[in-house]
Amino acid sequence: MKISLMQRIRFFTFCVCALFIALVVSVLFVVQSLELAFERESYAQQIDNHTNVLKQFIINDNVYSRSSIDIHWVEYQSHLADLLNQAPALTPHQQTIQNSIKSQNSNLKRLFERITQNKLSDANKVIKVHFNARLAAQLEAIRADSVELSITVKEDIHSIMRQQAAFVIFILIASVSILSISSFRLIKIFKASLKDIKSAIEKNSSDNFQKVTMSKSYQEFNDIIEKFNLMNQKLSKTTISLDEMKKVVAERTHVLEHLSKTDQLTEVANRRALFERGEMEYSRGQRNKSQLTVILMDCDFFKDINDNFGHLFGDEALKHVCKICLQEIRDIDFLARYGGEEFIVLLPDCDLKGGIDIGKRIQDSLANNSVSFEDQEAYITLSIGVTSLSDKHKNFSQLINDADEAMYTAKNSGRNRIEVMSDE
Amino acid sequence: MNKKFFMLPVIALTIILLAAWLYFNFQKIGQPESYPVTIAVSKTPLSTPFYVAEKINAFDDTCVSVTYEDVIGGQRAFAKLMSGEADFSTTSDSVIAFQSLGQQKFVTHARFVQSDNDVKLITRAQDNIVSGKDLVNKTIGVTKGTASEYFLSNLLALDGLTIKNVTVKSYKPEQLMAAFMNKEVDAITPWEPYAFQTKKQLQEQVKVHDTKNLNTLGFHLVSQSADNLLVAKAACVLEGLTKAIDYISANPKKAQQIVKERLNLNQPFIDWIWPDYIFKVGLNRSFLLNIESQAVWAIDTQMTEYKKLPEFMTFIDTRALLQVAPMSVNIMASMEH
Repeated sequence: MKISLMQRIRFFTFCVCALFIALVVSVLFVVQSLELAFERESYAQQIDNHTNVLKQFIINDNVYSRSSIDIHWVEYQSHLADLLNQAPALTPHQQTIQNSIKSQNSNLKRLFERITQNKLSDANKVIKVHFNARLAAQLEAIRADSVELSITVKEDIHSIMRQQAAFVIFILIASVSILSISSFRLIKIFKASLKDIKSAIEKNSSDNFQKVTMSKSYQEFNDIIEKFNLMNQKLSKTTISLDEMKKVVAERTHVLEHLSKTDQLTEVANRRALFERGEMEYSRGQRNKSQLTVILMDCDFFKDINDNFGHLFGDEALKHVCKICLQEIRDIDFLARYGGEEFIVLLPDCDLKGGIDIGKRIQDSLANNSVSFEDQEAYITLSIGVTSLSDKHKNFSQLINDADEAMYTAKNSGRNRIEVMSDE
Repeated sequence: MNKKFFMLPVIALTIILLAAWLYFNFQKIGQPESYPVTIAVSKTPLSTPFYVAEKINAFDDTCVSVTYEDVIGGQRAFAKLMSGEADFSTTSDSVIAFQSLGQQKFVTHARFVQSDNDVKLITRAQDNIVSGKDLVNKTIGVTKGTASEYFLSNLLALDGLTIKNVTVKSYKPEQLMAAFMNKEVDAITPWEPYAFQTKKQLQEQVKVHDTKNLNTLGFHLVSQSADNLLVAKAACVLEGLTKAIDYISANPKKAQQIVKERLNLNQPFIDWIWPDYIFKVGLNRSFLLNIESQAVWAIDTQMTEYKKLPEFMTFIDTRALLQVAPMSVNIMASMEH
């Protein structure tokens, strides 16, 4: 069985309410008890008064001589008897006293009747005195009993009040204790639970979306934590997608970058990539005083190829040239399509001679490998211009211009040949 | 957690209740262990408070653990007391009156019951006896030197007569009825249960005279002269008796049942005597008057060798009753009158 905070609060409230109801009920009960006790007190007082009056007759008058005593005596005696029959509800002890008074009173009546029957006219003085004393003693006993009843009732009143005071104090102590205990417990629960929640929020703020568990389990806080954990779960999922997204974007960027630097047809570096790499190699050459050779190649009679074999064939021819070039150049070399049917190869750490050799190897390879497409075959030749980096080149473009110039020289000199542009 | 939740208020409440209990029972804690006391109890319905106390365990919370020594007759109970066989005895006014003349070392702690109609005058219905005067020259059976004879003398005195005006024959109490049936006597003055037995046996042949309140029979808790410890024990016995008497007041039928079973009595007898009984613990003037007049009578009739009235207050010890029910002690004030 799990007890929620609300149940706790309800339980404590119920306890305190029950105690206060008990208090109110007890007060009502006491009011009633006191009313009864006061009724008893007044009853005892009346008996005492009546008995005193009766006793006065015995003391003041000679019971054997005066006749007037009879009427008054009988009247008062009958009043007393009536009174005794109208007793309020009594406690067992008070009932004992009441029984005693009642019996004594009936005895008293008998004795009085016997004495007054003939005034004990025949009896001697001793017996008369004895019976007179007996009468007085009987009255005395009744009076003493009524006094006892009266005192008992008063003690009863005091006892009721004492008990009520003790009960009220008990209820108040119990209420205060329950309230203190409950508030102490609730504060403890709130403190512990809020501490757990605070620590969870702090962890979240540092992207640590852990599942939170409460050190103490309460339904209300458990509900919050459940929602919190649900939120954390979603957050942690969302956070993972962001990482993946970054990865995807990086991949896409990489692909786009690749695309932006690659010639679509030949799949070798395009002009933009050429210049990026070229600028870098140029800078390095300048900085390290290292060698850099540039080969510029142009397909001979490419227009005729297109015209004779179609553009598709022309495209295949360009792809073929690239393929051959890639086979012949070194790993560190860089091939790019410069434009139309022109290609450039950057040869880092390579002198002019090395560049000429590579150009030759390419020409030889092309001479040995034809391009074929849809049952058509052709051999491609290249006019090649070679140049190497020198102090005169103020930028990469000048290097290309030199290679271009050399390539035109080769074109003009009959094609399928290599021309060099050098400082000498 | 859940256990703790409930345990805390439970423990708190237990502590509070314990404190409350201690507050109300503080006086009882540290009370000495109970003293064993033996009480010689006269086998008569007058001892009802003792039988009820026994039945409802009224002495359980007091300082005494009580054992009863059942005896027949107040005289024998008193004898057991004086021989030291019992710590207390139930003793009647007459016994107290006569024993006080002998200056025995005993004290009365309290009266716990009285009957103003215990001794009765029984005559033959056919004799038409109405007053004491009709008894002149008749033979009357009494138990000499007891309440039976004292009662007769009082009865006669009301009409200016004395014992000398009648012929008195003495019998043991249990023999009175036989003497009456055998016509050895014209009237008898037996006490209960012999009056009831005679009436039951002879029915309409007898007349039981209305002599209520001519004589009071009280039963008292008596011990040898008491030191402080004995007074403390007496107080505890009286505490138990008070509880028993309150029980009798609240549950008269149950109390009758208890005494009926204890003494093997029948309901008609209980119905016969019960209305005359006044159960209450006390010490008052009527008791003093009773023993005084009985003692005077004993001296006057030369029933006893003693000639001098003792100081009766020396035979009354109010200390125990003052501890238990101070309001029930009215003998001092009475003495002042």
